[in-house]
Amino acid sequence: MTRRNRHHERAERDGEHDEPRVADGGHERPADTDGGHERSPTPLEDVGAVGRAFRVEELPPLSSVARWFVTTNHKDVGVLYVVTSLFFLVFGGVLALLMRAELWTPAADLLGANAYNQAVSIHGMVMVFWFLSPLAFGFANYMVPLQIGAEDLAFPRLNALSYWFYLFSGLLLGASFFQEGAFSGGWTMYAPLNVPVYTPELGATTTVLALLLFVASITVSSVNFLTTMHRMRAPGLTLRKLPLFTWTILLTVWMMLFAFAALGAALVILTSDRVLGTTYFAAETAGGSLLWAHLFWFFGHPEVYIVFFPALGVMAEIFQTFSGRRLVGRKWFILAMVLVALQSFAVWMHHMFLTSINLQVKTLFMITTIGISLPFDLMVFALIYTLVKGKVRFETPFLFAFGALALFILGGITGVFLGAVVLDYEFRGTYWVVAHFHYVMVGGVTGLVGGLYYWFPKMTGRMYDETLGKLHFALYFVGFNLLYFPMFVAWETPRRVFVYDVSLLPWHQLSTVGGFLLGASFLVMFYNLTRSLWAGDRVEGNPWDYTTTAEWAVPSPPPLENYPEGTPTYARGKLEFLAPSAVRSLGRTGADGGTDEASTPSTDGGTVVRDRSSAPVVPETDFDEGGHDEHHASHASPWPFVVGVAAFFALLGLSGVNEGGLYLVLLAVGLLLGTVGFVAFGLEPFHVPEMVAAERWPFAGVENAKLGVWIFLASDVVLFGAFVGSYAFIRVAFGWTAWEPVPHDPFPGLVNTYLLLTSSFAVVLALVAAKRRSRAGLVGSLVVTFLLGVAFLVNKAVEWQELFHEGLTLSTGVRTSTFYLTTGLHAAHVVVGLLILLYLIARALRGGYLDDDRPVEYFGLYWHFVDIVWLFLFPLFYIF
Amino acid sequence: MSRLRLYVAIYVVLFAFATMQVFVEGLGLSYWTGFWAVIGLSAVKALLVAGYYQHLRFEPRSLSYLMLVGLTAAVVLTAAAAYSIS
Repeated sequence: MTRRNRHHERAERDGEHDEPRVADGGHERPADTDGGHERSPTPLEDVGAVGRAFRVEELPPLSSVARWFVTTNHKDVGVLYVVTSLFFLVFGGVLALLMRAELWTPAADLLGANAYNQAVSIHGMVMVFWFLSPLAFGFANYMVPLQIGAEDLAFPRLNALSYWFYLFSGLLLGASFFQEGAFSGGWTMYAPLNVPVYTPELGATTTVLALLLFVASITVSSVNFLTTMHRMRAPGLTLRKLPLFTWTILLTVWMMLFAFAALGAALVILTSDRVLGTTYFAAETAGGSLLWAHLFWFFGHPEVYIVFFPALGVMAEIFQTFSGRRLVGRKWFILAMVLVALQSFAVWMHHMFLTSINLQVKTLFMITTIGISLPFDLMVFALIYTLVKGKVRFETPFLFAFGALALFILGGITGVFLGAVVLDYEFRGTYWVVAHFHYVMVGGVTGLVGGLYYWFPKMTGRMYDETLGKLHFALYFVGFNLLYFPMFVAWETPRRVFVYDVSLLPWHQLSTVGGFLLGASFLVMFYNLTRSLWAGDRVEGNPWDYTTTAEWAVPSPPPLENYPEGTPTYARGKLEFLAPSAVRSLGRTGADGGTDEASTPSTDGGTVVRDRSSAPVVPETDFDEGGHDEHHASHASPWPFVVGVAAFFALLGLSGVNEGGLYLVLLAVGLLLGTVGFVAFGLEPFHVPEMVAAERWPFAGVENAKLGVWIFLASDVVLFGAFVGSYAFIRVAFGWTAWEPVPHDPFPGLVNTYLLLTSSFAVVLALVAAKRRSRAGLVGSLVVTFLLGVAFLVNKAVEWQELFHEGLTLSTGVRTSTFYLTTGLHAAHVVVGLLILLYLIARALRGGYLDDDRPVEYFGLYWHFVDIVWLFLFPLFYIF
Repeated sequence: MSRLRLYVAIYVVLFAFATMQVFVEGLGLSYWTGFWAVIGLSAVKALLVAGYYQHLRFEPRSLSYLMLVGLTAAVVLTAAAAYSIS
């Protein structure tokens, strides 16, 4: 019997696919879904038949192109992220080389002003957004589930959706060059340069929309990773024992969840300014320019750590493996990272020392900024001391990790200068800043390149060429320092300007030589990795000594299901694999399948294993038979790709919606395709991995889907918070009490409050009816909720119509802009809720939710949240 | 009190508080007293909806903390930004 057949036979015996169930709080319930529905009892069979029409039955083999369009498997998605991010590295790198070529002489003689500005702006965006983080998240996608002992991420299709949003956002960015030119106001998009008066090109709007789609990708991804890492850790794998790379990803996604919500708010407002004509960031708006800086840097400074933390995790893993030594001060290292993650949200105004913010707040943020360097000092010393105590092997991954540390130290020290107000007055806007952040950011890249070499054999089953790897490092390190160090010397060069003082010529020419050398070093890497993919030595399991993490406990590349022959557990203090029957027994012992952390022995104080024989044991399986290429229908779905394509068309159409014509067609096609994609997404039956027994702190007792909804809502709190904060900020700048509410009469707002409160109550009744198995009550309550939501929108439309007639439009001034946009964003949430309601009503009419009311409950969480937001918008916009 | 009756009672309170908010202006309070009174009423309503309609009161406390973290981030941004230009 082949392994594949054995697996399917076992799956059928265990009911793994037909009746997925999970212990939750002692009650057996059907397993979670990520928007789709599981095979359900008879009342829904007709819906199931529709759903089956949308289903891809077989995951195509790895050699098939189709596989890469339908896969949802975390390892496939990880590979897609890595490959795509390397494509964007080339894209951003070519732009950088164009800039360096322009700077070969002090005159503007190659690109011209606008082309240079576009190259600078898009280079920065591509490298920060589309290359650095996605490369890290390629590794995270691939390694985190393996490291925590999960079969996949909590919501595999949402993971694929994140990837497609990422890819299409990058393609949208590329398309912006062909719409009169891409955005040219710098990667920070400072106001008022970001409004059409200064950057009128359609492509500039597309750039903003591309970034908005990227934010959507990040948000979906954050929800997915947080749910996975908090709910799907192998028994015994407490947070304290998490591998360091997974720790850094955990902190990164927490930062991403909140930081990107603020950026999302800024981008929605900017899109509105560019497309709808609101005036938040117009030059004449009181506080408009500062508002952008606050919103952008509230995101932007955590973004530095969002970019750097995964590289730090890679460095820590590599240092341990190649020194044969557990990280010195591991728990202090983790604590320092937690501190930095928290502090990262309290330092953003050091980017605004040259603005008109008051001296008190500058002083406060100088203190917090200098303070954030202290935990980093601890981390750096922990890494150095680990090497001192260990026995270092200078192989390619270590060289890059060590190089990253050296570069980061220099980048960190030069950054402290910028944290001091008085020095910042001198250095701001010069090449000192450029050199500093490249030492930090590209220092991070250096660590991630080390990760690429480190995990290449794991991901491909082949070994790269060590000599070429070392040659790459030598060229890279020399090229890097030749490129960026002269910028410290020529620091007086103004940033983002294509001409400079002729006395600085030698330093800039040195930089240009370094830039081309750095670029050439990547050609060596691409050649090495591509050739090794086909002709490298085969790696059966673990090519490295002293590894400690679980991904090395499975063959290379890992099988599709990660751990098909046994579920990983750390319950006895070390990695072991349990048979399915033992896992089920374990799952029944604890509430929610969790285990008692206090009763499990700690491995945190243990030592690194000394050799391969004592590394986590690779189960004896015949993976070659199926390996990574094993077929499993549950891993395939075409709908994330379809929704990604729809987003591309819709946003491209939106960029030129005021032009009409083709853009309107694109918008319509995108919206139609998106509707089809989402409905099919919801109807498609899809098996979602669920762990019977797992560590789930601190969210034991909260199912995966419910936790996902709550995490999303926490991000939405920041989104709305940033909107309300923007409104408050502009009112303060305007003079709070001099500001009159736009509606003359609070009565329409009060009526809408009544409508929403009543609709919230109706959702509560719907859930009560579902629990009582009353189909009529459920359908009736949902229909009432829908009608009340529609009434809310109609009332709002009538109110807006009257205001428009009075000449109070979105463009009248910032007072009307804030009113229409903030309440409009809320109305958009209501519209999304109504669309979900239509879906729920259609299924409820066919008998849905009487056996499983969770979708109604989860919708209620969203709808009540929308209600809560209105409870604050009403007094702020109608009474005061 | 049955759970349904509790939900109805909360709905009545929410309805009444919303109505009260509009009439605070007529009480002759100073601007800022009135402002904070109305925002306070909104906060109470929000807590009732979150605690009972969203069942946060009956969920693990970690979910409440999760939402508080988001709220804190929003408040920090708003307060610090507003203070920076005051």
